Amino acid sequence: MATRLLTTILLVALALTSVIVVRRLQSYPLPGNQQGYEPEQPIAFSHRQHAGDLQISCLYCHGAAERSRHAGFPPASTCMTCHRFVTASQKVVVPELLEARKAHRAPQPVIAPELQKLYDALGLDSKLEPDPNKTPSPISWVRVHHLPAFTCFDHRSHTKAGVECQRCHGPVETMDRLRQVSDLSMGWCVNCHRETGRTGVDGKAVRPATDCATCHH
Amino acid sequence: MPVQPKSSFARSLPVVAWSETIAQHADESREAPGDGGSAPSRRDILRLAGFAFAGAAFAGCQRAPVHYAVPYLVPPDEIVPGRSYDYASTCEGCSARCGLLVKNRDGRPIKLEGNPEHPLSRGGLCAVGQASLLGLYDQQRLQEPLQAGQPVAWAEADQAIGRQLDAIRKQKGSVRFLTGPGVGPASRAALAQFLKTFADGRHVVHEPRSCSAILEAHGRTHGVRLLPHYHIDKAEVIVSFDADFLGTWISPVEFTAAYQSGRRLDGPDAHLSYHVQFESLLSLTGSKADRRVCIAPGELATVMNYVAARLAPKAGLSWQDADPAEPSGGVSFLDHLVNHLWQNRQRSLILCGSQDVELQTLANYLNHVLGNYGATVDLARPSFQRDENDQALETLLKELHEGKVAALFIHQSNPIHDLPGGDRIAEDLKRVPLVVSLAPRLDETARLAHFVCPDHHYLESWSDAEPVNGVASLVQPVINPLGNTRALPESIATWTGKPQTAYDIVWQHWEKGVFPRQTQKLTFQDFWDRTLHDGFAAVTPRPLKAGPFNTATVHPAASPNRLPEGSYGVVLYSKVGMPDASHAYNPWLHELPDPISKITWDNYACLSPATAASLGVSNGDIVRLDSATQDSPAVLELPAFVQPGLHGQVVAVAVGYGSVLSQRFADIGPRWLQAGPTVGSDGLVGKNAASFLAWVKGGLRFSQSTVRLTKVGGQHPLASTQRDYHLNVPKHLDVPGRERRPIIRDTTLADYRQESLQKTKTEAFPKSDDLWPDDHPVTGARWGMVVDLNACTGCSACVIACQAENNFPVVGKDEVRRQREMHWLRIDRYYTERDDGVDVAHQPMMCQQCGNAPCEVVCPVLATVHSEDGLNQQVYNRCVGTRYCANNCPYKVRHFNWFDYAHDDHLQNLVLNPDVTVRSRGVMEKCTFCVQRIDAARSDAGGNGALPRDGVIQTACQQSCPSQAIVFGNLNDPKSRVARLAAGSRGYRVLAELNVQPSVSYLTLVRNRPVEGEGEKHG
Repeated sequence: MATRLLTTILLVALALTSVIVVRRLQSYPLPGNQQGYEPEQPIAFSHRQHAGDLQISCLYCHGAAERSRHAGFPPASTCMTCHRFVTASQKVVVPELLEARKAHRAPQPVIAPELQKLYDALGLDSKLEPDPNKTPSPISWVRVHHLPAFTCFDHRSHTKAGVECQRCHGPVETMDRLRQVSDLSMGWCVNCHRETGRTGVDGKAVRPATDCATCHH
Repeated sequence: MPVQPKSSFARSLPVVAWSETIAQHADESREAPGDGGSAPSRRDILRLAGFAFAGAAFAGCQRAPVHYAVPYLVPPDEIVPGRSYDYASTCEGCSARCGLLVKNRDGRPIKLEGNPEHPLSRGGLCAVGQASLLGLYDQQRLQEPLQAGQPVAWAEADQAIGRQLDAIRKQKGSVRFLTGPGVGPASRAALAQFLKTFADGRHVVHEPRSCSAILEAHGRTHGVRLLPHYHIDKAEVIVSFDADFLGTWISPVEFTAAYQSGRRLDGPDAHLSYHVQFESLLSLTGSKADRRVCIAPGELATVMNYVAARLAPKAGLSWQDADPAEPSGGVSFLDHLVNHLWQNRQRSLILCGSQDVELQTLANYLNHVLGNYGATVDLARPSFQRDENDQALETLLKELHEGKVAALFIHQSNPIHDLPGGDRIAEDLKRVPLVVSLAPRLDETARLAHFVCPDHHYLESWSDAEPVNGVASLVQPVINPLGNTRALPESIATWTGKPQTAYDIVWQHWEKGVFPRQTQKLTFQDFWDRTLHDGFAAVTPRPLKAGPFNTATVHPAASPNRLPEGSYGVVLYSKVGMPDASHAYNPWLHELPDPISKITWDNYACLSPATAASLGVSNGDIVRLDSATQDSPAVLELPAFVQPGLHGQVVAVAVGYGSVLSQRFADIGPRWLQAGPTVGSDGLVGKNAASFLAWVKGGLRFSQSTVRLTKVGGQHPLASTQRDYHLNVPKHLDVPGRERRPIIRDTTLADYRQESLQKTKTEAFPKSDDLWPDDHPVTGARWGMVVDLNACTGCSACVIACQAENNFPVVGKDEVRRQREMHWLRIDRYYTERDDGVDVAHQPMMCQQCGNAPCEVVCPVLATVHSEDGLNQQVYNRCVGTRYCANNCPYKVRHFNWFDYAHDDHLQNLVLNPDVTVRSRGVMEKCTFCVQRIDAARSDAGGNGALPRDGVIQTACQQSCPSQAIVFGNLNDPKSRVARLAAGSRGYRVLAELNVQPSVSYLTLVRNRPVEGEGEKHG
């Protein structure tokens, strides 16, 4: 009796689980394929705003792409080149300025909550001066594009060959939260290498290697 | 606080919960059989198991783990993530102080390489120096100071030590600071300050491989206790009496580079010096000698007396013993050598490795007679690499025994392990009121110390060095200290009462002591910056005045009685890969095969084949060495090893083994059913042979005591990486007309000259038809390598370089015994027996990157394939581990991962090269020609098939080779160095007759063998 009851419960559970899984099957492609991965980041940084609206070059923040294997994540000091001055959106700052002028007082500093996280990481106070009571702690960004350890991708040769960032990373300038657009599988890499070997990059002839040791060593 | 992000791919919790419930139910139903009146049936269990499996399968369907990227808040100026940077520094692996480039990647050093601009080491770096990197990431390095074995805060330790020191100052007690010879000038200045605060403070220098006798002899003959700087490159004739200058003596990398620059056979300055070695064991240097004379232990004096007696009259000097005793080997060769030396006055060099002051005095005399002082022996710019003083050490031991020392500080010295009578010294140490050790690890001596104040690793601290008068160099930190340790000069400054940082101490010392000697007229800041950038600075030498040669001090050396037949003399030596016990923590060095014996993980008693036959022992049989004749009897049981080229009355034993630091290897290697131990029955690697060191006339001697040698039962298997060393084809396989395998080609200088005059290249193998059409054309580059067998000394620096670069694991002794070592690059050593000894050839052997690779055609899954640039690639992810390729490889250079070798020591994992995959179980691997370096250089050159300039790509083995025996480059470019050398008259390819078309060429070994009696000119 007990076993029959248990079997029934388990069958129901299994059915429920299957339903949950099947509904989300789309996000369960082949193992290791993270296409569509769009994790929440510690700071809601918007590529659309920076790369799209403001037209900041990708290399301004990811400058190592020309000099190193890794494109690199910008250090917080790179953010501070602008955000030392820009602390919140104009929509919030301007009314405060006007109000302050009207009331004949010094304007209050307005800091957007997301930027506050950046200043906290750097250990800055509300005047953006180092605060001795705060310990700076680096920001742990979540990696979106991650290759396994046995793959040695090199940004250098791609940027030097004139491959656009978007070719692999997709329309980043339209994304608020960064999403992995390509599946980053080996077939996808090799197909592009073969194709550009025939057609070139922007009409410029290139010689992309398809040897295994190009990426695996 | 890092924000914990909510991933949209979080583990699906309901599924996990369900599977846990199932497991619980399964447990309950098993535990409560009374519930249903009976135990669950087989069917129930199967059903539940089915559910559990299904649940587990769902639970397993989850995303890869979330990866974080943590950039700097404010990055250092020059750092680009993912790029490595070289910082110039100075190696502190031994006291030779070679120039170093520390490769730093993402904030941590990952590889040590030689500094090509360094005037002494010239770009080479030995195996020990390179492996010293592993010491930085050593989990068992002391992390904080200890008091009576318990962790203590620095302030507390300093206070307690300070109190005791104050008391000693008041009572005018004696303070002794025992160090190795490698303490830098800035630290020495601080040390002198410290010792000055005591009424009786003295600095005593000790080194297990003592050179004290050389300094002592110069004290006698020149009035100054100095170690001369030897210019081996300027010598036409090098006669070495038992000095292993290419392997372990004073400064092997520097000497190897200099030796090699006098032995170039290619290019306009082709030139081959003549090197004669007298020794009783087979050293690395002896294996390279043009003429090696094997002498009985103790016969050195007879030989040197004879040479002196024959040379002196030629110089018009009188010699006290006009008719010296003749050595047992006859005199015809010695007469020839004397003539040869005399013809090369001022271009010859006598080196003597003996610890006997009389013999060293005699060596000085020979150099003096030959006019070598000022030419090849430099006393004006002497070497500061060694300044140990055995007499001072003996006095210290006496003082310790008599209880006269109030405080003893010990740095880079381990007297209890390294000196004879360690137990007695340990007893004496217990009676010293204050013993402070600065050892980074708990060695034998540190265990007895009241305080252990661990020093930094040298890659963590500021320091300096002056290896040779006028060559000043800096040691700079390349990483923040990993533990709560403190640099030596800082500790000294604290105990002096003037705490200072090591940086300030070094800076101030350089401002006052080194900067005034600069020659370039820079400001101090510029001078400092430039030195820091270059790693060294050439400065005006300190004025040191050696007196004129005092012939009155020289007299024939007393030759000890010849050993009677059937008795044996112990000759101690240190191994190239394990110079002393301070490296016993280092698994890379333990697994490095000895260049001569090819044995890993042990020391052993080397016996000549004749001795072994007479005793009836073979490799691994345990023999007992018993020096009952001495006042302090020493007994040691060691496995025997039959070593060709050894004198019949010699038992050679390596020191530096049996240290407590090797206890950690009890568990090394894969754990499986048939796993064997790496350590011996006492839990240590090897046995300590220091008890056979002998104190004679105030000096520590490596070869003195006679021993009784007996076979005791039992076996201690030795792990050798090479079992066969014959170049002759075994009888049963003999092909008529081809007796000698052409694996090694060697010739004499005279023959080579004749051959190269004829410009004939002797690659006389019939070229058979290719089995396959040329279906993988090599366009662009074809990477190739040339290994000069003439330059290769077998020092094995390349093996460790390869290990550091390519992340291969240490497998432990038992696996090495099963021929499963993972060294991608091995050095084969072959003997050719001659009437008067053996000829030795060293041959680095790595994947030959064959054009017609036999491995490729047998791989069922295409895991090893050819690349466009002629590389034979190994694709780890495709490999399924059939091992067909290894079986079909004629060079046997493929290595299989039989296990998942341990990578759970996260600290040690920091040494891994991030550009090279760590292979897992079941995968074949082999030399890749450092393809990661090729790729990086090609990317830097602009990518798109652009090729870097010739010489820009350096493989790891090539970079660190002290004698520059390895050349790498593009064979398709006829102008490249590698192509020219490969096509030159000395180039040949191993097993070329198989038509596998290897990309590695070897250059014929040429020995300089003038015919005796002819005073022929060479050079």
